[in-house]
Formats: sequence, C-alpha cells, structure tokens
Amino acid sequence: MTVMLFLQQLRGELRKLFARPRTWMGYGAFLIMEAVILFVYKLDRSQRAMKGIVERNGLEFGTYYSSLTITFTIMLISMVLLGAIYFALVAGDIVAKENEDGNLRLVFARPISRFRLLLVKYAAVCLYTFTFVFFVGISGYLMAVTAVGWEGGLLVMEQKMKVFAAYPEWVDGAKRLALAATGIGISMITLSSIAFMFSCLKIKPAAASIITLTILFVDMILQEFPFFKPYESWFVTWRMSAWVFLMEQQISWPKIIESYAFLGGLNITLFILGWLSFQTRDFKT
Amino acid sequence: MLEVNGIWKSFGGKAALEDVSFKVAKGEIFGLLGHNGAGKSTSLGIILGMVATDRGEVTIDGISVVKDRARALRKVGAIFEAPAFYDYLSGWENLRLLMSYTCPFDAKMAREVVQRVGLTDRIHSKVRTYSHGMRQRLALAQSLLPEPEVLLLDEPTDGLDPEGIKWFRDFILGLRNERGTTVLFNSHLLAEVELMCDRVAILRQGKRVFEGSVDGLNEDTPVYEADLQPWGTALGLIHGAGGEVLEEGRFSLPHEVDPAAFVATLVGTGVRVRAFAPVKRSLEDLYMEILNGGKK
Repeated sequence: MTVMLFLQQLRGELRKLFARPRTWMGYGAFLIMEAVILFVYKLDRSQRAMKGIVERNGLEFGTYYSSLTITFTIMLISMVLLGAIYFALVAGDIVAKENEDGNLRLVFARPISRFRLLLVKYAAVCLYTFTFVFFVGISGYLMAVTAVGWEGGLLVMEQKMKVFAAYPEWVDGAKRLALAATGIGISMITLSSIAFMFSCLKIKPAAASIITLTILFVDMILQEFPFFKPYESWFVTWRMSAWVFLMEQQISWPKIIESYAFLGGLNITLFILGWLSFQTRDFKT
Repeated sequence: MLEVNGIWKSFGGKAALEDVSFKVAKGEIFGLLGHNGAGKSTSLGIILGMVATDRGEVTIDGISVVKDRARALRKVGAIFEAPAFYDYLSGWENLRLLMSYTCPFDAKMAREVVQRVGLTDRIHSKVRTYSHGMRQRLALAQSLLPEPEVLLLDEPTDGLDPEGIKWFRDFILGLRNERGTTVLFNSHLLAEVELMCDRVAILRQGKRVFEGSVDGLNEDTPVYEADLQPWGTALGLIHGAGGEVLEEGRFSLPHEVDPAAFVATLVGTGVRVRAFAPVKRSLEDLYMEILNGGKK
C-alpha cells in the first residue's frame, strides 16, 4: 500500500515534469546538438583528422569510423556541454519553482510529510536524469546509423582520464557503450543532486541552477591547476568522470566502485542537507 | 474536533500570534475574522503544519499537528491562501495528483465531487484556461477529496461574484447538514460569515479579542432607533424607563421594558412617534466595535 502510494506520487511527479513545454524543448535541444555533432563528423576534414589518429594507433579507419564511435562522442560532448545545464535546470526547478508558484501550499494542505515529498521529487529527478542519458545514447545512435550504417566497432579516446580502448566487434562495442550510458547516468545524478539540494533552500529556481553550474565549473577549472593535480580525485567532476573507466579493455572495478561510493555518499549528504533546510521552513506568503 | 491552544508565532522578531486559543466543535462552522495581517492565515498555516509554532499546540480529533502532522491531517481538507494549481495540467490531473498525497486516487469519488462543484464539463481542460470562479471550485473539489471530516478554508470566496458566493455558502451549509463536516474558515465578508457561521473568533494584531456565538450577537441590552417629536419629552421618558441614549434617535432600553408598552406611553404623553424599530446588531457592528472602536 505504501509502496503503491509512493509509485502513484512518483507517477504524478513525472507527469508534472513531462507536462512542461520546457522539458520537451530540452529533448529538442539535445536532438539538434546530436545532429550538429553528426554533421561535423561527416565533414571531410573531420574524417581526415580522425583517420590520421586511428591509423597512427595501428587501427583500421573503416572499422572505427562507425555509429558506435560517433554515439560515444555525441554522449561525451553533449553531456558536458548541454547535460550539465539541462539537469541543473530541471533539478533546480523541482522544489524551488513549486515554492515560487505557490503549488507547495496546496500540497502541504495534505497529510504528506516533507521528507516523503522530497523523496518523491528526488526519485523523480534521479529517474529522469538516468533515463535521459539513455535517450541521448539511443537517439544519437539512431542518427549515427542513418548517417554511417550500423556496422563497425567502437573506439574510445578520452584524454582527461587517459583511457584508450578499441573494440572491433559491434557486440563488444555496443555492450561497453550501454555500460558507459549507465555510468554517465549515475554520475549525472550527482549534478542533479547538487541542484536539488539548492532547490530545497529558500532561493529562486534560477539561482539554484546557476549556483550548481558555478560550483561544477569551478571544480573543473581548479582540478586543472598544477597545484591541485595530486588531489584531483577529491574533485566532484573528476569522480563524475569515473564512468570512462568502464570503457577500459580491462575494467578496474575497485577504482570505479570507489568513485561511485564517493558520489553516492555525496548524493545522500546533499539530500539530507536539502531536507534539513526544507523541514525547518515556513510555507506562507 | 479542532483545538488551538495558546499558539505563539513571530516572524523576524515581530509577533504574528500571541497566545491564540479557540475550539471548533464537531459539525460546527467557525469563522476566523480580522484585518489583513491580524494572524488569520498564520493560524491556519499552523493548524496545517505549514508554519511552525513558537509555542502552543493544535490538535485535530485529539491528534497533535505538531507531533504527528500526517496522522492529524488525514481527515482534513484545506484551501490555504490563494490556491495555486499546476496550470499546465488539467483540473482532473490536478485532483489526481493532489489526492495521491493523501491516499490512492479514487476516480469514482473524484467524479462525484467534480459533479457536486459543477466542474464536470471543464474538468479535463488545462487549469490555465479556468476563470477565477472555476479555480475556486476546483480548490474546493480538491479539499473534498477524500471526504474530509474537517474543512479549513482560507478566504474561499475571495474574488467570487455574488452568485458564486451564494453558491459557495449553500454548498458549505449543505455539506455540514448532510455529512456533519466541521468547517473553519477565514473571510473578510462579514455578512457571509454571519450567514454561515455558528461561532466566530476575531483576531486583532495577533491576539484573539473575541470568541462567541453568532446567534448571541443581540443578547446584550436591546437598542432602538426612533423618530420622536419632541425629542426633549421623549428623552425624559427614555431615562424614566431606565434606558440610555446613545445619540439622538438611538437609545437602549432594559430587557424588561416591553417596546409596545413604551410606544403607547410615548404616544399617551403626546410624543409623535414617526418611526420606532429595534436595531439588530450585525456581525459587522460587533467587528467594527472591537477593531475600530465602533467607527465604520
């Protein structure tokens, strides 16, 4: 009964999320971005550059100029450029916007605890973030298939985390790509958790999103400073990039589990901080 | 059914409520009155657990809102401040969503309530297309799901036209008569409160300054308005009967004085009685007396 009610509340929360035009505009923005990346990939200059890199590594260009490789690039670029903004906007809105619009006054006329309401909203944000990454992966792949066909392997080159891997077989590449999408989805939940925590404070929704993005950009910039290089594993965005290790030929699970445990702990802490602030507030104009 | 015991609240060091107490019995319609900022909405917010008290206790059917809000509000339906719905959803979806915060959605019950509030034709339209009156009806519908025993309504007739106000009054009275629903509501419309409420409490600057029955408004010394000539002669007779003159043409007489016999005395003494009528003290008179010292 309690679980059923929770699921009904979650369904309602997702219904609200998907009833907003902005949500669909976000999907549209990602599709446009995927198309742009694909267009760039199709340019002769891009193909020549990629051919050079692939062949310098002793690999066959024809095998790795594929829908899987393009999808990987689409996910990598679009998540960094658009995903951060988009998830911060959605999670930053989820509580603060309803407070600003006065909807919470109707909700709290009901016998639902603040903790439970936040739990429902947080679950909706996590689910949304996680599934959105798969939307980007699947739509990106379908676009890439229409452009270069479905065959070919997967080539992974990620400079920041220093990962280079090649999967000549489509099946192996597809499995790793699905694993990567799972990893990105989990990593992105941390971004949403930061925005969610700020959304629980008594601030404007836009402020919650902007503060989240500021924190992440500062985090990314600071870890590039030579002084902070020995401490890079303490930076949130470095931990969020741990999904790239899932693409390594030999997966180092302890390294990945360590990062996700760090992120999991951070997510729980952020939720609790948000809840504590939310719990002590008065809801009245 | 609902007990508010000595609640105190301040915002930023400024007292909003000071030791406010009142009780609402089962099946009673209770009005909470006061100027803007008197503490009416804050009181309702505290009853709903949306605003934390500094001191004091609120119980609904014996359950403390402060200690066990979720259980205390299980039998409560409410409209708190201006109802802000999810405009991008339909009225039906709003009801489904809001009801799910109390219990699993019951479509049959929701359909019945929608029919009762007269929104059947538009319930599947987006709320952003609703008029103010329709929003108020939707707010009432959501407060009635699922069949509350206590209704807390904050300015429910605010912005409604006279027809809407009458509809609302009949609806609430019908609800109380049919189901014995207990109703607490805030309003600025004193005439409406007088027509609907069994008892009222008046708040002034966060303090309860009056609590009493609406029927008992005229239990004090009866007051009369009369056009009597010559006034000087009439004045002597009024004083002689133990009455007190409030202003020319307006005076009180003790309960034991029969007004018909007094008029006969006036006429018998040669006073021309052009008009003579008891003044019914309205809630508005009481409200103005308490809050403004009688100035309207």
